[in-house]
Amino acid sequence: MATLTRPGSPETGTELHRRTHPLRVDIARALPLTPAVVLLLVFLAGPILWCCYAAFTDTALTGAGSGATRFVGLDNFRQAFGSDAFRNSVVLTLVFTVLSAVVGQNLLGLALALLQKRAARVVRMLVGTAVIGAWVIPEVVAGYVWYAFLAKDGTLNEIIGTLGLGQNWLYTLPILAVSIANVWRGTAFSMLVYNAALSEIPQEIEEAAEMDGATGFSRLRYVTIPMIRRTVTTNLMLITLQTLSVFGLIYTMTKGGPGTKSQTLPLYMYEQAFSFSQLGYGTAIALVLLAVGAVFSVVYMRLLREEA
Amino acid sequence: MSGQTTTVPGAAVTRLSKQVVATAHPRGPRTWVATGVVNVVTAAIGLAFLVPMLWVVFAAFNARAGLKVEWPGSNFSLDNFRAVMTPETTYRPMWNGLVLCVGAAAIAIVVATLAAYPLSRFQTRYKRPFLLTILFSTGLPITAIMVPVYGLFVQLNLIDTLGGTIAFMATTSLPISIFLTKNFMDGVPISLEEAAWTDGASSMQTLRYVVLPLMWPGLSVVTIFTFIGLWGNFFIPFVLLLSPDRLPASVSIFTFFGQYGSVQWGQLAAYSVLYTLPVILLYLLLSRRLGGAFTFGGALKG
Amino acid sequence: MRRRSFLTAAGLGAGALFGTAACGGGGSSESSGSAATKVAYQQWGSGTIMKDYLTGVKTAYESANSGKTMELLPIVASENDYYTKLQLMMRSPRTSPDVVYEDTFLINSDITAGYLQPLDAQLEKWDEWSQFQDIAKGAAKAADGKTYGIPDGTDTRALWFNKDLFAKAGLPADWAPTSWDDLLAAARELKGKLPGVTPINVYAGKAAGEAASMQGFEMLFYGTGSTLYDPKADKWNVASPEFRDALTLLKTLYDEKLCPDPQIALDAQVGTRVQEEFLPGSTMAIALDGSWLSGTWLESGGAPWAEWNDVMGTAPMPTKTASGDGKISMSGGWTWAMTKNAANPDDAWKVMSTLTSFENNVKYNIASAAVAVRKDVAEDPQYTGSNPTLEFFSSLVPVTQYRPQNTDYPRVSNEIQVAMEAVVTGQASPSEAADSYDEAVKGIVGEDKTATL
Repeated sequence: MATLTRPGSPETGTELHRRTHPLRVDIARALPLTPAVVLLLVFLAGPILWCCYAAFTDTALTGAGSGATRFVGLDNFRQAFGSDAFRNSVVLTLVFTVLSAVVGQNLLGLALALLQKRAARVVRMLVGTAVIGAWVIPEVVAGYVWYAFLAKDGTLNEIIGTLGLGQNWLYTLPILAVSIANVWRGTAFSMLVYNAALSEIPQEIEEAAEMDGATGFSRLRYVTIPMIRRTVTTNLMLITLQTLSVFGLIYTMTKGGPGTKSQTLPLYMYEQAFSFSQLGYGTAIALVLLAVGAVFSVVYMRLLREEA
Repeated sequence: MSGQTTTVPGAAVTRLSKQVVATAHPRGPRTWVATGVVNVVTAAIGLAFLVPMLWVVFAAFNARAGLKVEWPGSNFSLDNFRAVMTPETTYRPMWNGLVLCVGAAAIAIVVATLAAYPLSRFQTRYKRPFLLTILFSTGLPITAIMVPVYGLFVQLNLIDTLGGTIAFMATTSLPISIFLTKNFMDGVPISLEEAAWTDGASSMQTLRYVVLPLMWPGLSVVTIFTFIGLWGNFFIPFVLLLSPDRLPASVSIFTFFGQYGSVQWGQLAAYSVLYTLPVILLYLLLSRRLGGAFTFGGALKG
Repeated sequence: MRRRSFLTAAGLGAGALFGTAACGGGGSSESSGSAATKVAYQQWGSGTIMKDYLTGVKTAYESANSGKTMELLPIVASENDYYTKLQLMMRSPRTSPDVVYEDTFLINSDITAGYLQPLDAQLEKWDEWSQFQDIAKGAAKAADGKTYGIPDGTDTRALWFNKDLFAKAGLPADWAPTSWDDLLAAARELKGKLPGVTPINVYAGKAAGEAASMQGFEMLFYGTGSTLYDPKADKWNVASPEFRDALTLLKTLYDEKLCPDPQIALDAQVGTRVQEEFLPGSTMAIALDGSWLSGTWLESGGAPWAEWNDVMGTAPMPTKTASGDGKISMSGGWTWAMTKNAANPDDAWKVMSTLTSFENNVKYNIASAAVAVRKDVAEDPQYTGSNPTLEFFSSLVPVTQYRPQNTDYPRVSNEIQVAMEAVVTGQASPSEAADSYDEAVKGIVGEDKTATL
């Protein structure tokens, strides 16, 4: 429970109201949930159930599998785990997620939030605008922007041209390139989350810590982080899940290439399901992607519980 | 389940104003230097975020645009905009996009607000699994389910309809909208409602008159978040809409990088600027209303 | 009052939603009940050749057949997405177009899937069918022996070369290499004499997609006399020494920097750059490419280049050792096909035969710089006079090869691209890359459907 219910007033308030209310009241109270539940059941749960079934068949958009679909048991999964291309995608997905979400967006977002607390008002405003600007730009445009920035005749090479490092970064370091682009695009979310969390830390606590001589990192580690731990976990969970399914940004920048060097699971799934019309196999990959998300979520929740 | 920190009622409201005023307290030369360093580092990070973006702005106005950031100078021209601003390339897809995304975002916000209320205010044993499911659904790869969704839409006779597409798009953004809205609602103290309840107001009345007025900032954030996600979505409208004159801008921009014919970088940039404009305007509009305090008022505590 | 307005707003939202949905539903069923024949085609990028052509045909068709209408259904998408969308639409009778435009290399999958219907009954009675060249008639013939599509044009592939650069390097303007060694010698000559000029382009990676498989690899591989697939035995070729030969030539070309730098060659833009930047800019001497290339340089094309016909020469791609005819080419092309769910097959046929009639086919072949598949079109002076290279590319039809007409080909093609890319980036030797290809092909088609051919 600790992870998902906000401690404090709402629950305390509800305790007062809990008393013993009959089922009728429960149903009446849940009524506003109906539109959401109906939409989610019809448009998401239904298709997802179909996918869970399809992942165990050889269904396809064209060719033999689309006429007479066969149940193939675990074949799709067996094929996936036996395939180099799939294993490559899993590794790249983990690298991309850890690099761009867990480390990049999360730490940079936290750093920006901490820095902004101390920075001059005008600097704070400017950096906030730039970071949020990168966030509101549509994914495809962000992809074009980074394609142009990292291309051989792009801006980055122009800037560092004198160092003699000029190269097509999308070719030489594709997974790093798309990870950095994703940090650029997604950091605003973490920054906003941490801005809010830090502003909730009572000033007295920080001042007290300062009086005790706790400075810099030790204050961060022993005072600030523990106070916002819950936020960190939720934020990590959200950005991890979002990053795992990033498609448009990578597709626009590299199409998963060169070769398969930036082909994360969503791109691999897209290629299998739509370029090669192997729907059954493609949906099996999608389920693996969900499983990866689930593993991350469980780890975060464990971490939170252990520290609590 | 019992919290170790206690939030004072009303904190959510003061919280918003507090972070606007929170500043450093310079104390002596050492802190003065430290503050200088902080400002320089922060500005540098801001600059790093800004530089890649410059290309799209400069190239849009450059008649001979390449991939480098170049001040248009003597090449300054509006030709790129003139080339793309046609009914077929810009106006109609843009209008379609607005209809789809405004519709879907509006539905998502209304439905999410309704759903968030019981989730935020009442305790039942189904709440935690439900919230976990919602949270987990934020990471669903929607591309993977588009094939069954197409089949479903054909069955329901919703294929190639704006209404059906809007409903589906709204649904895909529901998990994150519900989750964020619920969190913002948690930040609104319950004590105010209790007074209203005592006066005999219904839940919907308290939601409308007590809770919502206190969480406009949060709802603005949810609105922006939902709208950005929908505005950039290419695959859903592409699959669900058949008539080309119903397709939104997200589909046209995706095909701008066509493999046949050269990429006109200037035009691509100009179109990107036009395509980004609605999101920027929405952001400016909402953040102005919030007095510049565009933040996640109620911290995400899950 | 105010509370009511809040709830009303929510209610209105929901009402509007289902209202629109209902209206839209009504609209679509209405159109399927009408007499319109729906024609689906791919619209991609800024080219409007197909759209202009179809609009013309539509007007003519509707005035010639009063009461009949033709509804154009452009699908704005890249090739992958075009097929995804088309297949989804064809699956359901309610959304299926009547006439669809399909690439010959993918049509077999859709035939197997049961999306299309055979045209033999109609073709038998069609007096113009005899005008189609036999090889083209086979382009959309399925394993069941029935014909499912009418081709509207084809293409061939060969070497384009820049005569200005050749003159500078002391190479003849009527250059015609007779073997791979000949080709390599010319490329090396160019490399030595013209620094800064890329001697030759051979597409080589996933980013170039099917162009790499077809213009790149298969133009080499089929020149060895081997084949990827034997349709009679239904076997795919694995452990093929010729496969390794083709990859070795590719390795030589890239290792000696006779081809563009991999950073350029493995970028999705490489095709566009070759056509619009390198060849017109005289920074590339030879391009192994398609017959349609000059379409880009015409006044109506994407990158007009007035002098192209004076500068660019053409030569057939030689076979490995001057064996066989001494030259090789690969052909593709698109066909018009009728869907299984076509509401009114008679109307659909009428539209299809109009689309591929002599008069319309001349127009389309001229506009798209395609190689004609109709004998009467191929001889028409208006067509032959429309582009100076047409005669050359048409002359390759007798030696041309088609890709395997098999459902698994698209995935095998992807493996070819993977193998090429591994070789040109130096990740794998030709034989290592070929080994991985063999394994991948066995995985795709099943080991029992492979053999060394």
